Amino acid sequence: MRATTTHGYARFTACFLLLLGVLTGGESLSATDVLQQLPRQWLDDQGRTLDLAAFSGRRVYFTMAYASCRRICPMTIARLQELQREADRNGESAEFVIVGYDPTEDDPGTWQQYRRNRGLDRDNWHFLSGTAGNTEQFARRLGFPFWKYDRHVMHEYRIVVVDEHGQLAAEYTAASAQTHVWAASDSPQKNSSQAE
Amino acid sequence: MPSAKSTARSLCGLAVLLLTCAASGPAHAAADADQVAQLQTRLEESLKAIDQLTARVRELEARMDAVQPGGTAAVAGAGGAPGAAPAAPTGAAPPATSAPGAAPEQRLTSLENEVAAITAANAARHEDMGLPLHGFADVGAGTRNPVNPNLHGAAVGSVDFYLTPQLGAHTRSLFELNFKIGTNGDLVTALERAQLGYQFGDAATVWLGRFHTPYGYYNTAFHHGQQISTALRRPGVVQFETTGGVLPAHAVGLWLQGSSRLDLGRVTYDAYVANAPRIVGGVLDSNNAGNAHGDALYGGNFGYLPGGSLDGLRFGVSAFGTKVQDDLVVRNLTRVNNYGVYAVYDTDRWENIAEYYWFDNKDLSGATGSHNSDMGFIQLAYRAGLWTPYARYEHSDLDQTDHYFSAQRFGNSYYRTALGVRYDLDWSSALKLEIAQTHVTDRNIDTYEEALMQYAIRF
Repeated sequence: MRATTTHGYARFTACFLLLLGVLTGGESLSATDVLQQLPRQWLDDQGRTLDLAAFSGRRVYFTMAYASCRRICPMTIARLQELQREADRNGESAEFVIVGYDPTEDDPGTWQQYRRNRGLDRDNWHFLSGTAGNTEQFARRLGFPFWKYDRHVMHEYRIVVVDEHGQLAAEYTAASAQTHVWAASDSPQKNSSQAE
Repeated sequence: MPSAKSTARSLCGLAVLLLTCAASGPAHAAADADQVAQLQTRLEESLKAIDQLTARVRELEARMDAVQPGGTAAVAGAGGAPGAAPAAPTGAAPPATSAPGAAPEQRLTSLENEVAAITAANAARHEDMGLPLHGFADVGAGTRNPVNPNLHGAAVGSVDFYLTPQLGAHTRSLFELNFKIGTNGDLVTALERAQLGYQFGDAATVWLGRFHTPYGYYNTAFHHGQQISTALRRPGVVQFETTGGVLPAHAVGLWLQGSSRLDLGRVTYDAYVANAPRIVGGVLDSNNAGNAHGDALYGGNFGYLPGGSLDGLRFGVSAFGTKVQDDLVVRNLTRVNNYGVYAVYDTDRWENIAEYYWFDNKDLSGATGSHNSDMGFIQLAYRAGLWTPYARYEHSDLDQTDHYFSAQRFGNSYYRTALGVRYDLDWSSALKLEIAQTHVTDRNIDTYEEALMQYAIRF
């Protein structure tokens, strides 16, 4: 009885936190469990379904890009590669997740070719395609404003880091040469608008 | 009246308070049975609060759906058809297992299922964020005006507003309203693009309205926003009608576009039929309201992208045919047949574009017969981080006995060499510098140099 009640109490707490995230509309992420509050189902560049919850307990670098982007995205990818080298030097492991802005153009096959052409073949790098709704929601929740101008996607330079505890840890933007380390009161949307 | 979200947040706060009160009661280490009973009571109370909260969320969702009848059905990319049932129930009463008499385990399971359903529906919902309005603007200065070399000094380029109202899962819309300074310094307002379309899939989208005529590459890759293009100005051979162009850059009609993946790369295609243009006051006019004679402009464009190790390479062909009448004292009617080829190499490092057009025109109203002309450009640009230097060569050799060119203000032949550089001040603003030498080779033969500067933004 006691074990059952305690277990039920834990389930209730998890449920309540999830409902809290839903009710707030995701406009501001709670301080914990960021991965739980993002759209979770994506396709990777092999066409396999990938759930972001699989990255729980791991450090994750998130960014967004589109395959025919020639200005900002190459610089973002280059920065991610620097961060990967830094992690390697420190003996740290991390996941690098690039979500596509334009699911109609950038399907798994496009990302597969993108990775091959740039030698981005490590297993901890993930190029994801989602539905238009999931893409917009992901962008909104992590602070990646964008709009499409025909075949061009207008967006900013931004990398968001989620730590092993599922908390927002840092961001890299064009406005700040150094990493911005999150304070508990920060929200990704506030910092994104400042960067613009 | 408080917003739905603020009301939801208030209820959340109340539930948190209830939970805190329930959780903060003193825990007695006395009897285990007492402790368990207390926890159970608190769980019951909290579950009641959650039930109330869930009901409130459903009520709010039902209200939002009543305001936006297509909102929950328009699940972009998820194949939701207009009028299809929403993925998650809205406005429904909590299920029976949430009744106070049901066991806590059952109620928790039910609650988990409901929350998962709400989350899924929330993720699939295409939220109405209002009408997205974006745009571009540019200003400049130079020894000459980039589109009217007889003027010197500073100049306002244009302010361009771009709207894409979000419609259904397959319906598309696009409007581009441009305020620019014309070649004579007057303010010109133009609804440059007004397209309504339907996307059948990746392979086909059909548009109706005013669009950029899909010849070559440049005219559909770059529109009126100067910030997105590398160079300070469009090549003269593909300039817009009012700023020096001799091709019908805009068309009003029906346009089918699409692309298809092959085992070896991708093909793109365009096919269109539009109002035949006319020449008014020396400038091509796309006949936005139709034309009196019913003639049409027919055309197509076929492109191929090999992909793979040739990622970034694209080449293609285009063609269009139409009849164009001018408004001279003795009016001329010309059958215009245009054929084009283009090649593009666009990678993280290079943006190289080459286009070539050939005219095979026929005088339909006089006795001057057939006329052949040609024009083209090549642009090489190297992307080095925030800096992108470029070089361009443009050339046109236009038969001045062809009424199609002689009736146009900008129908003279020329060639130009230009060197320039683009510097990205930030990802929304670019500074461009260009020096050029232009040789006008017929009509008023002339040679002149230009040093130009442009500040272009997007917002």
